[in-house]
Amino acid sequence: MDSVRALTLIVTMAFLVLAMPAEVALGHGVELSVAPHESIEVNAAYEAGEPMAGAQVAVFAPGEPAEPWLRGSVDEEGRFFFVPDSDRPGTWEVQVRQAGHGGIVRIEVEPAGVVEVTGGGLTPLQKALMAACVLWGSIGTALYFKRRAV
Amino acid sequence: MHVPDGIVPVSVAAGGFAAAGGVTWLSLRKIERAHTVPRNGVPKASLLTAVFFMASLIHFPVPPTSVHLVLSGLMGVVLGWYAFPAILVGLFLQAVMFQHGGLTTLGVNACIIGIPALLAHRVFTLRTRFGARRRAAGTAALGFVAAFVAVALGAAAASLLIVTTVPAHLDAVVERTAVTALLFAHVPLGVIEGMFTAIVVLFLLRVQPGLLEERF
Repeated sequence: MDSVRALTLIVTMAFLVLAMPAEVALGHGVELSVAPHESIEVNAAYEAGEPMAGAQVAVFAPGEPAEPWLRGSVDEEGRFFFVPDSDRPGTWEVQVRQAGHGGIVRIEVEPAGVVEVTGGGLTPLQKALMAACVLWGSIGTALYFKRRAV
Repeated sequence: MHVPDGIVPVSVAAGGFAAAGGVTWLSLRKIERAHTVPRNGVPKASLLTAVFFMASLIHFPVPPTSVHLVLSGLMGVVLGWYAFPAILVGLFLQAVMFQHGGLTTLGVNACIIGIPALLAHRVFTLRTRFGARRRAAGTAALGFVAAFVAVALGAAAASLLIVTTVPAHLDAVVERTAVTALLFAHVPLGVIEGMFTAIVVLFLLRVQPGLLEERF
């Protein structure tokens, strides 16, 4: 009779130990797995070239312009990495902002992966050409209004 | 100092357009009343618009950030009431060509940069109080002060606007710290623009004093 009672006690205790929360019971086991993913790198720099270190980033998932899907900040080199959820295809928007400066880039994501990135800067040549056009327009305007009435 | 698209709420952008429209109307009316041939001022305004447009491409490093020339003070000092429409056109071109500033914030930016320019002109007109002997020194000094005031007021107005309209999804404290840093970076810019404006007005006083006679 005593041995039966002792056995019951042991079984009950074993159950109790096993029924404890998993984190406690299996606290030493850590499983790390690695899977390659196509991540997006956002580079944020001011026009003069220096990185927007510490600028705040908000990532908006398609169809959800009000609440950011992810928040973060760019690193010292002005970079920010994230992996968009490929189950949510559409236009993802990444907004970078620091001290009222900032911009938005749009990334087209399809189930197969990233397709297209829109929103980029101009080359120095394009800039110079546009500046020259404006300059010439202004000089032309000045000359036009300067001419004497006939 | 140029507020880009998507930073301020729609109501602020609309208010900016309303205010800029009002000041433009006022400027044009004042120009019409003050000049018998208003178009005579257009060549000067046109050339300074080009200078204003190009100025924003010139950057100065002020660690940890960098600032660019605005020249709102110079515009106001030399152009008087012509300054506001000229700045409006310059900002429009900057927004369209270089995405510097934005079309939705054109009104807001015109107010931030244009109204201090008009105030700078008011400051500069105080030079008539200097006697003929101290005319040059007084003109240079007031050119400096007018340009510094224009930069300081513009930077302060832009900072205030940005800080008070931080969207909920951003960390307001981080943004405020960054804005404060940028605000102080405009102090050296004010000095640079002040010196530049002083040199320009001294030069104009020597070679073509008539160009500085724009009146309110």
